[in-house]
Amino acid sequence: MPVIDAHVHVFTTVSDEFPREVSSNTPADRDESAEKLLGLMKETGVDQAVLVQIGGRTIEQHSYLLHCLKTYPDRFLGIGLVPQDHPNPEEHMTELAEGTGIIGFRLFDLGGPRDIFETKDVTEFSTYPIWKCAAEKDYVMWVYPRSIDAHLLPFLVQEFPQVRVVLNHLGMTPGKGKFTQDELGRPQIQIGGYNLNMHTTFRLARYENVTVHLSGQYAFSKEPYPYKNLAGMHSNLFNDFGSKRVMWATDFPWILEEPGYGELTTIIEKLMPHIRQSELEDIMGGNAKRFLRFPDLNS
Amino acid sequence: MMNRPTPEEKEQWERDGYLVFENAIQGEQLKRLQTAFDFWADECKEEWLERVETADAAATFYDIPNPLEKDTIFIDIIDHPSYYGALMEFTDDDVILLGPQVRTVAPWPVSYTGWHPDVGKDNPIHIKVQIYVNDVPKGGGEFGFVPGSHRHGSGPYKRPLLQESMPGHKSFPGKAGTAIMFNSCGWHTSMDNSSDTPRKSIILIYEKRTPGRVGPTQFASIAEHCNTPARRKIFSLDALSH
Repeated sequence: MPVIDAHVHVFTTVSDEFPREVSSNTPADRDESAEKLLGLMKETGVDQAVLVQIGGRTIEQHSYLLHCLKTYPDRFLGIGLVPQDHPNPEEHMTELAEGTGIIGFRLFDLGGPRDIFETKDVTEFSTYPIWKCAAEKDYVMWVYPRSIDAHLLPFLVQEFPQVRVVLNHLGMTPGKGKFTQDELGRPQIQIGGYNLNMHTTFRLARYENVTVHLSGQYAFSKEPYPYKNLAGMHSNLFNDFGSKRVMWATDFPWILEEPGYGELTTIIEKLMPHIRQSELEDIMGGNAKRFLRFPDLNS
Repeated sequence: MMNRPTPEEKEQWERDGYLVFENAIQGEQLKRLQTAFDFWADECKEEWLERVETADAAATFYDIPNPLEKDTIFIDIIDHPSYYGALMEFTDDDVILLGPQVRTVAPWPVSYTGWHPDVGKDNPIHIKVQIYVNDVPKGGGEFGFVPGSHRHGSGPYKRPLLQESMPGHKSFPGKAGTAIMFNSCGWHTSMDNSSDTPRKSIILIYEKRTPGRVGPTQFASIAEHCNTPARRKIFSLDALSH
């Protein structure tokens, strides 16, 4: 069974060849290359990974991601971004995904009414054309919704049962104003003691085309690695979604300094010591291989 | 005034872990409850949406904050004669209120909560009373319970993917004013609300008194409305009652 890191970001220094947006944690001269990731993967026995676009939504800003997918076709699959309010998202998605190794697209905003009590017409959601395109072209939707949008997901999942959906980072839905960075430049997201996602994204467990990442612990926990206060949440997701619909990921490169890539390769064993070896293997890669259709390794 | 449960009701409580009181709230009192519920739900809605936006509240239901301070009808239902006698009977005459949830649940493709117990079986007896404020039909987010799941030795139970797949469960559609009392160490849920009507209900949470569980300041803001020893006791207002 391969070991697959189901959510990482790679980027390189800004250049004409590889343009990208910059931010406080992705300055122009920061280089977190695919080769650096592959080195760590080799050291720790990780075979493959999902590269998730960072640094902009235009076709040009995907240049480095496309380069990595082309260079290492049996190692990586990719997830792209779609510009908000793109007049023709299908054209953008097709151009990015056609024969490139990009298998899906990440969404943060779902573009529907903020109030669950408002009547829902899913075709009026601004992201409806993106989901429709995903349904027609078999793309994966990689979803990290804002808290105010979390209630919209079941309507889309119900409308498009053929679309494979991956909920990012424990199915969390960050709230407005709760997103900061720590001194290491890592995203930090403040969550309440009472896990509100149990009443929104966790409820999607009934849909068999929905899976969830076991990742991002460093951003939500106020405890040091292995983030024991999140053990219960892992167990709940495991129990609700089942061993075949949860996927391990590291969120490289934010975890490089603390706790380190190698530490994260054992986090599932530490947080879920009760699971069977076969279930661990599914979480660590078997599920990603099957659900995301990773190619067999050449060597 | 209090109506103690009949021998049949006591037997059902022990065996199944729930009792249904039809028309527990009725007539003018029900209208008063509905009016207060709708008024305050409307008043508090925008604040709730802001809390959803900041991830301080879930998007799939909302509770009117501090309802006891908003209208005395919410106080009057805490020790309502329709079920107060049963509460007293099942707590050896020593019941305390932990809190109310004056809750609106939106229609949604999925229920906002899965099957679960609230407490372990060794917890001091923990009782909830769910009162329907509007008519709640089957498929309208009605209460669901697994009879007998409160008993020691029952189970184990596992949360199924679909609410209606829970083995042995019973769902409780009902008219406005119906009150369902259940032992909350039993497995329960809200069934899916696939109707086009929000479910309005009030969930009152009680427990048999244990020292320090509720302090005398928790409900101090409504002390002026608690003029009988029994009411002061259920709201834990007197230090002596601890």
